Order: sequence, then C-alpha cells, then structure tokens
Amino acid sequence: MPSKKQETLTNRIRRLRFDNGEMTQQALAERVGVTRQTIIALEAGKYVPSLLLACRLAAAFGVRVEDVFQYEGGSPD
Amino acid sequence: MSRMQKFAWFNLAVIALTLLVVFSLLPFLGYRAMGGLGCLGLIGFGPLFFRKTPGQVVTDERDHIIQWRSWIFAYAVFWVVFVLVAVVLSAVVYGEDGAVPVNVVRISVFWAFMLVYALASIAILVQYTGGSKDAE
Repeated sequence: MPSKKQETLTNRIRRLRFDNGEMTQQALAERVGVTRQTIIALEAGKYVPSLLLACRLAAAFGVRVEDVFQYEGGSPD
Repeated sequence: MSRMQKFAWFNLAVIALTLLVVFSLLPFLGYRAMGGLGCLGLIGFGPLFFRKTPGQVVTDERDHIIQWRSWIFAYAVFWVVFVLVAVVLSAVVYGEDGAVPVNVVRISVFWAFMLVYALASIAILVQYTGGSKDAE
C-alpha cells in the first residue's frame, strides 16, 4: 500500500484557463457545473475532485485527464 | 461566500440570538425564560439559502461532502455529550437514586438541537476556510 504522506495530486487548471482564452473561474465553474469556490479550492490544491468532475474539467479544456492532473504516487511501505 | 457558508452563519446567528434572549430574560422570568428557545424555530428558514436560481450552480460535490462531514461530526460529538450527560451528569446532579425532572428532559431537547446545529455550522465554516480535502 502506498504511503499516503508521499502521494500528491497537482493540477494545471489555472494554466489551462489562461491557455483557453483567459477563461474566468466563473466561466469554467459554469461549464463543469460547480461553484466558483470549488474552482478556487481546486487551483489552490485544497480540494481533490471526484473522477467525474476531473473528467468534466478535462473535457472543458479539450484535453486528457492526465493533462490536467498529475499524480505522484508514494513508495510502498 | 458560498450558500453553505451563509447557511452556517445564519444558524450561528440564530443560536446566538436565542442564547441572548434566554439569558436576558432569565433574571426576570426564571424558568419561563426558556420560552425564548422558541427563537430556534428561525433555523427553519435556513433552506431558503438553497433556493434554485436559473443558470446558477447552488451547491456542488464539494459542498455536499463538507455538509455530510459536518453533520457526521456534529452527531458524533452530540452522542458523546449525550452519553456523558445521561450517565455521569444526571447522577452527579440528581444523585444515584434521584429523578430527572420532566422540565429538564424537555428543555434538554432544545439544548441538544442547539449543540448539533452549532457544531455542524462551525464544522462547515472551518472546512471552507481550511480546505475540504478529498472527494469521496
């Protein structure tokens, strides 16, 4: 089982927003069906989304999920 | 501020108002001041914060997780407090062979209600401030 302490999930949502015509947080939130606060939390790394929301975010940017989220797994105990 | 945060602040405001009313009236009315606990009925207006607005997301998965965790936390703490009060405090206050007055039991329902709502509301606000962790 991977060590939880070493697991990280980062995302490029902020970068992708700017690459997509400087899309606002509100516009992205409306597109994926969440509140702007959730987009803020995602960008700040304070919230890890469900798989469904991750897919919606990727679809909103027209990229693959792994282009939005980067997982770094921990080493086994 | 999300609607959930507004809901939590509203609950805390109603609880503060209720406590203010009860403790203000207590010196004058004595036990009858507990009628002020009726102010808690204002919490019934809380769901109005979640009225659907066309074209606007009211709550999402993160809000639901925060709400769910907050209520679990509140009820878990309530259960501990309930057991302590029922098993320990009642015996300390009324004695091993004593009897808890009906009025105390009746009023304790309102205090328990206040405790659960206050804890859940605080938990909601804390999670929005400090991050809500993972989706489930």
